[in-house]
Amino acid sequence: MTTRTRYFVIVSLLVMSVGLGSGMVAYYVGFPAGAFQGRGGPAELEYVPRDAVVLAYADVRDVMSSDLRQRLRSAIPMREDGQRELEERIGINIETDIQRVVACLYRETSTRPGGMVLARGIFNEAKIEGLMREHGAHVEDYKTKRLIVAEENHGVPGEFALAFVEPGLVALGSAGVVRTSIDLHQAGNNPQAGIESVTGNEELMNLVRSLETGNAWAVGRFDALSSHARLPEPVASQIPAITWFSVSTHVNGGIRGVVRAETRDDEAANNLRDVVRGFLALGKLQAGSRPEIQAVMQSLELGGTGRTVALTFDVPLQVFDVIHGLMKNGLPKPPAH
Amino acid sequence: MLWSRRSVFLGIVLGGPVLLAAALRLAVELYSRGFIRINGATVSGSGIFGLMIWLLYIRFIVPILGVFFGTSLIADEVDDKTITYLFTRPIPRGAVLLGKYLAYVVCTVLLVLPSVILVFFLIVPIGDSSVASAFPFLVTDLAMLALGLVGYGAIFAFVGTRLKRPLIIGLVFAFGWEPLVLLFPGYLKRLTVAYYLQALVKHEMPQDSAVSVLLQLFHEVPSVPASLLGLAVIVGLALWGAGRAVENREYVLEQ
Repeated sequence: MTTRTRYFVIVSLLVMSVGLGSGMVAYYVGFPAGAFQGRGGPAELEYVPRDAVVLAYADVRDVMSSDLRQRLRSAIPMREDGQRELEERIGINIETDIQRVVACLYRETSTRPGGMVLARGIFNEAKIEGLMREHGAHVEDYKTKRLIVAEENHGVPGEFALAFVEPGLVALGSAGVVRTSIDLHQAGNNPQAGIESVTGNEELMNLVRSLETGNAWAVGRFDALSSHARLPEPVASQIPAITWFSVSTHVNGGIRGVVRAETRDDEAANNLRDVVRGFLALGKLQAGSRPEIQAVMQSLELGGTGRTVALTFDVPLQVFDVIHGLMKNGLPKPPAH
Repeated sequence: MLWSRRSVFLGIVLGGPVLLAAALRLAVELYSRGFIRINGATVSGSGIFGLMIWLLYIRFIVPILGVFFGTSLIADEVDDKTITYLFTRPIPRGAVLLGKYLAYVVCTVLLVLPSVILVFFLIVPIGDSSVASAFPFLVTDLAMLALGLVGYGAIFAFVGTRLKRPLIIGLVFAFGWEPLVLLFPGYLKRLTVAYYLQALVKHEMPQDSAVSVLLQLFHEVPSVPASLLGLAVIVGLALWGAGRAVENREYVLEQ
């Protein structure tokens, strides 16, 4: 074997070993979002208008087929009124039709209130349009797309719209946001023309990129969330100044994940850590001799540095079995003092 | 074999997809924020990778490597007038051919598979595809391409030892007979390597032209065990035929 043949064999084998090794690591362990992707996040973010304040994602099929969901479903008969109502009103079955969803929320302004959900899956377009028209919606053309518009949604005034942005991708939500989403699809990301997707929102995208691997996550501005939650003033004033939050979970045989909050300054972060630490101590005290609650409490871990506060959790499937057992047989009475 | 006159051609053929993948990735990252749109729809990286496997590797690179190297296993020795040295060794002539065939398999596998791996890591992260979810496809593709090289190599080794003008006949077989027969319903397609090889491909067949649409229309897919058995029979018969030809044929070296 000549020297250059030897080099050729070595380089070939090296490329193959590194490639297959990296692929195997990715397959069995998983890379964090963005390890191979500069932009990060799912493709649907391209159609989310830039000024979103909250972004959420769920791999619906993964979550629906998870051991946890199957176990909960068989153990606790769930009321799925919302799911049924959605199917009756717009003809989408969350369980079978949707593969994954991306949701976004906007600050309520006169021009763009509310939010939007982009769902990818397999949809019966004719059935959806027919059902919505039965419920009083009308169809209008918007930039070659059919926009199905309902004047009010569950009695809430304001236009609610649904459009098939591309085959297998439906956008539903506030009409203004859905229209902007269609603009983004038609014109692409074009900041000069005032049409820009959330992928250009660096603050939000940095949060998306920082997420651990998970089949459901949410990131956003905390003030937007608390204003939507309409917390009572005394409660809202007690919450330390949180600017950004992120939640990333992996649902399969249990739930594991991490909740992160970014505060205005280090002092606020320390205050928040104290508050969480207090709750954890209270929880551990309450857990007492109940091993099932203790397991949950022990899985909670407070962390984070500087302005970031992180709480990780890992709730195994067995805990849900115990909770189900308790719900069935009634909670044990506390020991008499 | 590796450093023959075909090396330049080989470099272009195998470096092309890697350069194409690198250019595409660069363009996507610079100008389209990590996404590719075709007719308004976002195309995933794994979809493009599947397209490249079909159009570049299965339909072009694997057959052409088989033709160029398979037909030259003995023909090169005849042209260089070195076959006498091989055939005067105290080993059966068939063993010489088998050794050269195995060398062909090792060389082409070591050339093609790294090229596919590089294309995979350049293309798959585009859009929302993930390396982790597409990795099983890569492993299947590598195994399928290696089998393709083994199959085409055996066929063209037979052509090279048995027929005159093996290169032309090989090219006609790979790019005339095989695509043509696959277009029509019937049993003739079972006399091709592509029929068995395409059954092992996990990617969706591209609908890039009228021919592809016709191919998809008459796309009979044998089961994986049937495909593997079919390929094994083809390789066995072709190598046995090539061995017999080498043993019995008298090679006259032109002075």
